[in-house]
Amino acid sequence: MMLLPCPHCGPRNSSEFRYVGEGTARPDPGTATIGVWRDYLYTRSNPAGWTTENWFHRAGCRRYFTVERHTVSNAVRASHRPAAQARTTSDPEGLSAGTERGPDAGPG
Amino acid sequence: MAESAAVARSPIAPTPPVAIENGWEVSARRSAADLRITDCTPLTKLLVLGPEGGVFGIPFGRAERDEEGVLVAGSGPGEWTLFGPPGTGEGLAGRAAAALPPDEGAVFDLTHGRAAMRITGPAAAAALARVCAVDLAGEVSPDGAAFRSSVAKVVTDVVRDDIDSQLSYLMHCDRAFGQYLFDALLDAGAEFDIEVDGFAGPGI
Ligand SMILES: [Zn+2]
Repeated sequence: MMLLPCPHCGPRNSSEFRYVGEGTARPDPGTATIGVWRDYLYTRSNPAGWTTENWFHRAGCRRYFTVERHTVSNAVRASHRPAAQARTTSDPEGLSAGTERGPDAGPG
Repeated sequence: MAESAAVARSPIAPTPPVAIENGWEVSARRSAADLRITDCTPLTKLLVLGPEGGVFGIPFGRAERDEEGVLVAGSGPGEWTLFGPPGTGEGLAGRAAAALPPDEGAVFDLTHGRAAMRITGPAAAAALARVCAVDLAGEVSPDGAAFRSSVAKVVTDVVRDDIDSQLSYLMHCDRAFGQYLFDALLDAGAEFDIEVDGFAGPGI
């Protein structure tokens, strides 16, 4: 079992979460080339070490949050709500940062 | 209520004998067993969404009764669940809407969309621990604690709501999972000789 510390709910079994993916910076649509868009969509750094990634607490608070996780040991050194900046990076709609609910969230 | 009035049914099959309570078909079985489970689906259940920080003065993770006996649970960040007696949805929704800031938030009546149940008795925590990974120890989940987690693999809202200082957990999940969760809790409580105790109003 892998424990993930949700910034709202505290430590929970990772089966309660959906892995969203590595945090990546969204390119500027005005200047990005096709190659830059391809990298944004498909290229991940996938390190054997520390990575910053987003998770969705499906079976809990139904919020997105950001975790710094070591991909070898699964140790977590930081867990926080997405910064306001997240709205322009991996989460263009700002779903993770504000009061909106994510695509997996049902009404109850 | 007129003879022709519609009867509401819980997704959980009532254990005989069956009676009508506030327009709901309920089990009229009474049990004094040490560990009991009650289908509480007839309770009015409202979901209130509002600005984070406390519309009702109740933070995420806590539940309290208001001055009218309605149980208000902080069920998520900027999210509250209100439990009232059966048939009180309209009045309660009006009160909840009035508590929200103007043009902010929303109130949904989930009474018929969610299945609710309660397990009560000294062994309630031990039985629930069979199917729920959250720490139910008193100092972590005291009376009035509220959380959402996986219970028997079903996304379930749990409120610890002791009755007359007897350990009790009120839970609700999607209606479609109601019978399954009820059966899973009966199974988890079997070793503690759990029995079905029927719903009696006001029930909250
Ligand atoms: Zn959470």
